[in-house]
Amino acid sequence: MEWWIEPFLLGFQQRALIGGMVAAATCSVVGVWLVLRGMSFFGDAFVHGVLPGIAAGVIFGFSPFLGAAIAALVMVAGIELIHRQTSLKEDTAIGLLFVGMMALGVALISKSRSYTGSLTSILFGDIFGVDESTVVSMSVLGVIVVAGSLVLYRPLLALAFSSAKAQTLGMNPRFTHAALLVLIATAVIGSFQAVGTLLVFGLLVGPPATAALLARTVPQMFLTSVVLAAFAVWLGLTLSYHWGTAGSATMALVSIAVFFLTLTVRRTASWLAARPAQEVHA
Amino acid sequence: MNATPPFALGTGVTLGYGHQVALAASDFTIPAQGVTAIIGPNGSGKSTLLNALAGILPVMGGTLSVLGGPPGRRGVTSYVMQSPAFPTGTPITVGEAVAMGLYSDLGWFRRPRARDRARVQEAMERLDVTALAGRHLDELSGGQRQRVYVAQGITQRHQMLLLDEPLTGLDLVSMRTIDAIIHAERERGHGVVLTTHDLDEARAADWVLLTGGRVLAAGPPDEVLTREHVEKAYGLGALHPATTDLLDDPACPPHRPDSTPDMAHGNRPRGYGPRQPPQGMRRSPSRGLMLPWCGVFTLVR
Repeated sequence: MEWWIEPFLLGFQQRALIGGMVAAATCSVVGVWLVLRGMSFFGDAFVHGVLPGIAAGVIFGFSPFLGAAIAALVMVAGIELIHRQTSLKEDTAIGLLFVGMMALGVALISKSRSYTGSLTSILFGDIFGVDESTVVSMSVLGVIVVAGSLVLYRPLLALAFSSAKAQTLGMNPRFTHAALLVLIATAVIGSFQAVGTLLVFGLLVGPPATAALLARTVPQMFLTSVVLAAFAVWLGLTLSYHWGTAGSATMALVSIAVFFLTLTVRRTASWLAARPAQEVHA
Repeated sequence: MNATPPFALGTGVTLGYGHQVALAASDFTIPAQGVTAIIGPNGSGKSTLLNALAGILPVMGGTLSVLGGPPGRRGVTSYVMQSPAFPTGTPITVGEAVAMGLYSDLGWFRRPRARDRARVQEAMERLDVTALAGRHLDELSGGQRQRVYVAQGITQRHQMLLLDEPLTGLDLVSMRTIDAIIHAERERGHGVVLTTHDLDEARAADWVLLTGGRVLAAGPPDEVLTREHVEKAYGLGALHPATTDLLDDPACPPHRPDSTPDMAHGNRPRGYGPRQPPQGMRRSPSRGLMLPWCGVFTLVR
């Protein structure tokens, strides 16, 4: 029993757990729409693309939230520019912006004195450095993201179905798509301090993808996703305490491991269910 | 039909995607009642025209008015696309997909009332998908899925139902069910606009648009589906001086408006007019889809 309680005895450990839970709820809810829209690669690039904004904020002493928001805008504008000016596929545009922004971020940080320290904490998060004011700002952003994901339920479901259908149903797919980008950016900005820009994706896509294997409706998928993300945060922190591994990396690993575990269990279950029928045929 | 304003009035309508023109400047009228068939070869602009009528594709040039206003207004059209490529694995049930037809009236938030739920229920019953309500879309056959999409389409409030190749590649049951919906819509005084590859289906309609890069002809089937027009649309005229009569082709079974269904020859009853009582098998799917080719191949021969 002590093995489970010990990792959360101290104040900073508890704040880490709370911060992780807020990040889990935020990312796993908007992540459902990310997965349903088939935008995982975009989300991945987007998450990493905000790096220079955060780096600039940390180095030049303005809010990293503001920096990340500007970087997100630059990223979307760049992708849109390539999309309009060339006939290249969207994933090429995303890839270009992805690596460009990431490189810019690393270059910016390398100019600062505490290169390795701040780079590591931005990329991989510093969940044990989460203080009360961070928890508050994370929670505010989290509420915005969760509320937005629910308010946009019908337009996003129609859009997940088909963009043209969404338009004929008066659901304004262009606005909905833009709003989803804003929500994803907000989730990343709210979570990067706890889980890092590189690993926030573990919570953004891992739990919703696992939930997609289990849920039969979108509301079920939301619930499953949140529960799985919270589980990943809690187990990840517990394991990282005992193994001495990095907190956010362990959480991301748990979230992906849970996906493969679920996949295996489901496959085995359907194989077992199908077996008697095959024997009858034979 | 002259008393009511037309569903669509197009003057010099040019349609396309980006800089690519898919339908060159065309003039046409589509009546507000009855069944209109848009027929033409692949890539002739059928679906493009339907997209414009539904208001999801802005016109590049010319003017297109739908019931006297711009296309895409709420409550005017309901558009059933050709098997929309929804991402597989989306956890959406048949019941939810059909209820999505209510979104245009309910908007983002308004809860469906008893009347709205009854509408969804009725649509599912009419398309015989009630038993599938809890199933996922990717657990259905192609025909069942098409029935779900049509149920979604008739759930949406509309005056005109637009159907993109509603009967192409379907099983017999789904074909008959959707065919019955087309008849029923017509009898309710709603208009139906559908695209098709099937000359027979086009001949059964009240009004026909023949496309071949532009609208080549529009009018009653007898006036539009002449050998000359069809040859022009399918690009066969120059190759083969016609010696056979397309509309009275010895290689194909005869189709006459008043003929009774003939199982032995796989004939189907003619016309979308007042519905005859179902008499056994209305049409064989393979036969129905082959008929236009029957005519075309004969011309080639």
